[in-house]
Amino acid sequence: MRVAGTQAPNHKQEAALIARLRGGDESSMADLYDRYSGVVYGVALRVLGDTAAAEDLLQEIFLQLWRNPQAFDADRGRLAPWLAVIARNRAIDVLRKRPLEANIDELPISTGVDLEDDTSQRLAVEKVRGALGQLPQEQRKVLEMAFFAGMTHTEIANKTGEPLGTIKTRIRSGLLALRKAFA
Amino acid sequence: MKDHAQYAETLALYAMGALDNPQELADLQAHLGTCGECRRELDALRADTALLALSATGPQPPLRARQRLLSAIAAEPRLQQREQQEKRFVLGRLRSSWLSFVPIAVALVLAILSMLLLKENLRIRDRNAQMAAELSEAQNKSAHAQEVLDMLNNPKTVRMTLVAMPNHPQPQIKTFYAPEKGHLVILANNLEPLPEGKVYQLWLRPPKGDPMPAGTFWPDSTGNRMMMHALETPGIEAQSFAVTVEPAGGSLTPTMPIVLAPTR
Repeated sequence: MRVAGTQAPNHKQEAALIARLRGGDESSMADLYDRYSGVVYGVALRVLGDTAAAEDLLQEIFLQLWRNPQAFDADRGRLAPWLAVIARNRAIDVLRKRPLEANIDELPISTGVDLEDDTSQRLAVEKVRGALGQLPQEQRKVLEMAFFAGMTHTEIANKTGEPLGTIKTRIRSGLLALRKAFA
Repeated sequence: MKDHAQYAETLALYAMGALDNPQELADLQAHLGTCGECRRELDALRADTALLALSATGPQPPLRARQRLLSAIAAEPRLQQREQQEKRFVLGRLRSSWLSFVPIAVALVLAILSMLLLKENLRIRDRNAQMAAELSEAQNKSAHAQEVLDMLNNPKTVRMTLVAMPNHPQPQIKTFYAPEKGHLVILANNLEPLPEGKVYQLWLRPPKGDPMPAGTFWPDSTGNRMMMHALETPGIEAQSFAVTVEPAGGSLTPTMPIVLAPTR
């Protein structure tokens, strides 16, 4: 896989990589870093807007994966989207100055999107960006405020002056539009 | 389905952690606990957010970040590895064990011997203590017997015989009083049994003043009793003795009538 400069393995390769990680093979971390550091760092930088803070978070997330590889359940999803969401959630914690938990979350993330190889994943990213580009600017803005700025729907409503119900609807329909792009 | 529609929009907020209304949050979490369909929709929405996250990929971390991570990992053994090392360490001790087991075995034997010796020592100590107690008791008995004997043979001992008053059976009490020490021995015979809560009390009658308590006693099943008593103050001359029946524990002044009094 190549997602804007990162390479992701297909499912079998990923399973083997996880097995090496769980076996304590340090070289597996080098491989994982080479493949997924772009995803984690990109999300962290987008949320935090600070390269040093994003680098620290990148370090933290990979170290926690090394310490607790069981946190990722390969049966319930793929590593790339899982790491992306973990990076986003942790970055929001940093942004809101909330203490980071000792272990990374065990969120089930199964995109249902074909991420078996570099080409399909590159296409997936392009498709996401394309779908976002199709959304009305107000809707895309609300989605980004909720996801990348970690704002609650009340905070978004206060900032935009839009009713709470409108914010709710825009967020849900924006997510469904991304899903629809891959249907 | 009305429930699912009702929760659809809050589910999207929840998937992003953007739902901040406590009531809506509590309602949704309660609903998720019972609704598998909404839990599946929540998983799908989280996957949607993952797509959104992937849109941020592009910037690459600085090259130093990779080495920084790998150095940190190299310096930090994994828990599993630490467990394995600890396990190997334990196994290693056991394997190298025939030599290292000898001092352990010797220590165990010494410990067992020490425990046996300690137990024997404690047994001997108990026996000694028991013998010392028995000896002390025997010495006390001997001393008392000697004291009684000395008293009975002492010419200075004041001897009196108390007999029943008229129309009374033949109870008798002999008193032996050593004024210089204030010691008193009585030998009682044929006393009548007492009601519950009552005792006989001996009174010393000094030449002047009120009678003084000189000990309480009660007869055995045959009506007999021997008693030794020491007055609180030695040196008191006894003009006579008398016996009354008093409540258990004795009295400070005699309760009439006198049931035994001297014959002379």
